[in-house]
Amino acid sequence: MSELWGVLEEHLPEFSAGLWVTFRLVAASLLIAIGVGTAVAALRVAPLRWLNRIGGVYVETFRNVPLLVLLIIAFAGIRRAGIPIDPWVAGIASLGLYTAAYIAEALRSGVFAVGKGQIDAALSLGLSYPRTMRRIVLPQAFRTVIPALSSLVIAMIKNSAIVGASLVALPDLLKSARQVQADTAQTNEVFFWAAIGYLLLTVTATLGFRYLERTYAIKR
Amino acid sequence: MSYLFDPDNWEWLWTGNNFRFLLEGFAVNLQIAAIAIVLSFAVGLVLALMRISSRRLISFPVGVWVDVWRNLPLIFIILYLALAVPGSWRDAYGEAVPDFFPEALQDELVLGALLGLVLYNSAVLCEIMRSGIQSLDRGQREAAASLGLTYLQQMRFVVLPQGLRRMVPATVSQLITLNKDTTLVSIIAIQELVRHGNTVAATGFGVTVTAPILQVFIVVGLLFIAVNLALSRLSRRLEIRERERTGTKPTSVRGLEDQVALESDTTGR
Amino acid sequence: MESKSRWRLIAIAFATLLLVSLGIAACGDDDEEETTAAPDVEVEEFGADTTMGKIQEAGEMNIGVKFDVPPFGFNNPQTGEVEGFDVDLGRYIAARLGVEPVFREANSDNRIPLLVDGTIDLILSTMTITEERDLEIDFSEPYYVANGDVLVPTGSDIQALDDLNGNRVCTALGSTYQETIKEEAPDAELRLVDLYSQCLELIQTDAVDAVSTDNVILTGMVIQDDTLELLGLNYTKEPYGAGIPDGDTEFKEFVDESIQQYIDDGTWEENYETWVGQYVPEEQQQGPPDITLEEALKLFPLEK
Repeated sequence: MSELWGVLEEHLPEFSAGLWVTFRLVAASLLIAIGVGTAVAALRVAPLRWLNRIGGVYVETFRNVPLLVLLIIAFAGIRRAGIPIDPWVAGIASLGLYTAAYIAEALRSGVFAVGKGQIDAALSLGLSYPRTMRRIVLPQAFRTVIPALSSLVIAMIKNSAIVGASLVALPDLLKSARQVQADTAQTNEVFFWAAIGYLLLTVTATLGFRYLERTYAIKR
Repeated sequence: MSYLFDPDNWEWLWTGNNFRFLLEGFAVNLQIAAIAIVLSFAVGLVLALMRISSRRLISFPVGVWVDVWRNLPLIFIILYLALAVPGSWRDAYGEAVPDFFPEALQDELVLGALLGLVLYNSAVLCEIMRSGIQSLDRGQREAAASLGLTYLQQMRFVVLPQGLRRMVPATVSQLITLNKDTTLVSIIAIQELVRHGNTVAATGFGVTVTAPILQVFIVVGLLFIAVNLALSRLSRRLEIRERERTGTKPTSVRGLEDQVALESDTTGR
Repeated sequence: MESKSRWRLIAIAFATLLLVSLGIAACGDDDEEETTAAPDVEVEEFGADTTMGKIQEAGEMNIGVKFDVPPFGFNNPQTGEVEGFDVDLGRYIAARLGVEPVFREANSDNRIPLLVDGTIDLILSTMTITEERDLEIDFSEPYYVANGDVLVPTGSDIQALDDLNGNRVCTALGSTYQETIKEEAPDAELRLVDLYSQCLELIQTDAVDAVSTDNVILTGMVIQDDTLELLGLNYTKEPYGAGIPDGDTEFKEFVDESIQQYIDDGTWEENYETWVGQYVPEEQQQGPPDITLEEALKLFPLEK
């Protein structure tokens, strides 16, 4: 038992540094994911067929390729092509673009929940398509998909661990834990605390979203 | 841009053994995924039944168990098990694996990978199944009960057949995710596609044609897209058929990214 | 209806692709039955209660080697086989028992756990002898002496260990260098990865400024890419030992004997030339190890 706390005491700096890296990685990727995801969703529901197709290609590509493969392409592959991309940028871009595909699909279902009726009404009142999207559809769509967003953020927290384990090698929580484990060989204790770290993040996210849901969500 | 399309950079694809080497690796991913989904389904079903039990003594601990594993990163679980699984278990696995299984799966390291995948996915599937079962009209269960069927009989003849059928699309969707997740086992030194990709891209030792990592992993990505796309089409068709058959909307489960996508796919088009 | 059958066609096409690829993969295995000829050594039979006897009964010996570190252990996609100096030594030892060697990947992170739990019988994975490792496993007498060195792109500003400070240095998670670099250059930014091939990738794409590990591993990188160079610092002495389960003195005796014979009958020299010698300039050539296990352990004593 004392070993358990001992490990925490001795290595708290490494664990918290790792936790901080994970937090920043997830936060930055989330911004990218929401931004790109919204854009792709807009493509997907646009009245023009070829726009739908482009959005479709994006979604199918990023949903069917493993994140690990994306990371290798985004970091090693791009660097080989001559673009000196930074590991942080590669990591955030990969995680963000990957999750954006899922956010796009969630938003798409949210838009349909809002209903064609509202879209048609807005258009017939003379509002332009982008205006309609921005003022009427998207705000409601977002509120509808808060539960789905919650699960996507949690998935992101979990996927962030893959970034550190790949050759992008950001020193996130899991990487720090593995380093400590390599130094001390106290596998169970080290992984226990790392697990607590991840659960802290996921529980916080869940609670945060529950609050958002209560305040803003539209129940379908 | 020209780097991407330069034919020199693609020459490796038809030189020597490279592409076959990649396919051999891919076969390992698919095999692990196949076994893991079957085991996860079985374990997940048991967990789901326990989870919906009316006895809090059973449902509560199982609930905690499921929630913990669902919220931890899969790579974390796999790495931990790879380091912590006792040797005796590995030996037992080595003995238990039937000889007709492909060579890559005979490797005892795969046990850690399978354990991790099953622990995680059974928890996820448990939640899918739970909603599938609970979405069934309460009336049916009550009617079955009033007809004198025991709990187990209710499950077997009324609830599960319908509930499980609703969950097939979601399970296939989970299989897609599982396919992608098998790449994580490359980190515990199992020789699968990502590992093989790294080897093909890295070895400049004694080869005449170098394989740039960008092109190699684009091919890797395409292989995954091919298989997963086929699976998602299959899943969608199953779901449409289910809808046409029973007129019900497939269950949507909170907490599953693919499920969200799946649902929205069919409302769109 | 039309789109439905179109999608069905696509689905069938992909499924066929999948089956075909599995088929190719399965067929591929048949061609690669020809393994390298076993070395010509005398086989000794051992009692069933010794590790050697058990291995002989099993008919095969599981040896953990590196799969991505030419010239000591690497998985060659062209031949489908694992090759290298460690691999050949492994074949030699297995041949002395008259069994087939089975090579498994053992990287710096998992090799000891794999030996401890019995998945592999022997570690031959460019593993440096240290007292800390000696707590968990036993070592054979040294079979090779490498030196720690630093790899940089030609013309780099980094010329000495101190220069690593403030730069990004790559090495493997779980290797001795994880600690050593922190001591020698505390301000160096360590990038830890699972595989040395990833370090090579990183330095080739300028994502790290230097790689530090055993010179043999670095030589393997220089062979693949001659825009890189070794600094020749030799700042650590790294005697490699074979990893043996803790406390198995009989097995250790057997392995030590095998290594001694390997050196005595000239096979060491032969394999050195094949795997290392031909790539290394005259001044840096070396002979079989001249250091004992005891001396080696003193090089990396326990701290704390």
